[in-house]
Amino acid sequence: MNSPLSPIDFEDKRLKIKFKLEKRLQKELQALTKDPPTGVKVDAESIYRNLSEWIVDIDGAPESLYEGEKFKLMFKFGSRYPFDSPQVMFIGENIPLHPHVYSNGHICLSILTDDWSPALSVQSVCLSVVSMLSSCKEKKRPPDNSFYVKTCSKNPKKTRWWYHGK
Amino acid sequence: MGNCFKTPNADDISLLRGSDSSESSDQPIGPPPPYQERQNRVPIYHPSPNVSRPANQLSEEEQIKIAKRLGLISHLPTGVYDGSSKKGKECAICMGEFTLGESLRFLPCMHTYHKDCIDDWLMRAFTCPSCMEPVDAALLSSYGT
Repeated sequence: MNSPLSPIDFEDKRLKIKFKLEKRLQKELQALTKDPPTGVKVDAESIYRNLSEWIVDIDGAPESLYEGEKFKLMFKFGSRYPFDSPQVMFIGENIPLHPHVYSNGHICLSILTDDWSPALSVQSVCLSVVSMLSSCKEKKRPPDNSFYVKTCSKNPKKTRWWYHGK
Repeated sequence: MGNCFKTPNADDISLLRGSDSSESSDQPIGPPPPYQERQNRVPIYHPSPNVSRPANQLSEEEQIKIAKRLGLISHLPTGVYDGSSKKGKECAICMGEFTLGESLRFLPCMHTYHKDCIDDWLMRAFTCPSCMEPVDAALLSSYGT
């Protein structure tokens, strides 16, 4: 007979959640390496060493303003993924010049916070980012870039984003 | 009314404990988690996605929200995977395939998930992860017809 929430139950549940999380991330990684969408590439080797942090290579789509450019997206998965959204930002030398991308790599995209759903995945986030870039009409930084970059947290999920348009 | 959140019954307590086993109903019903003395055993709730708070730090409004969700979740039909599903064979949340004998929950929009997986999500947001349909609206309209 267990009493409710005995330490064993508690530990058991935590392990189950951890196991499920790892299984899901491995499945996502497999799918993304086997059948990657155009312009999206993962370095599976580096990820298998540390499943909770991924770096994904993104190519600017042909015929978009970013054609020929290469970007790096970083994903960080917390222990509550996929119930909580991953942390997603651009890293590296080339941060796309885009009205929803700050110069520190933070992205203003509603599915990364308010509109997140556990049925979304690394793949769907990458596709949203690619399409966000592709639909850009004018390469420029967000109007509040310099203020935001000075005052924001390192973690883009800590920002209270105001989403304009769609 | 008023303190419905604190009154345990078989349904509520199974969800409060984390709903990870179907046998939970034959366990003795103890005091609800908000009264657990040991700090590290206070369950964590998620009044909205990406928000996590120990049960004893929830505002009254959040407690009511969570209590309502517990009630609504218990009205959603459940079942056991028998291999005969015509549509989805995979849970969109954990991306694992359904295996024989696993507990499932069916949402009014006809999407099916592992019971544990979807209950964890519904405790944060009352929408279907696949179609974003609000579950309570669909639940009410399915009663209406």
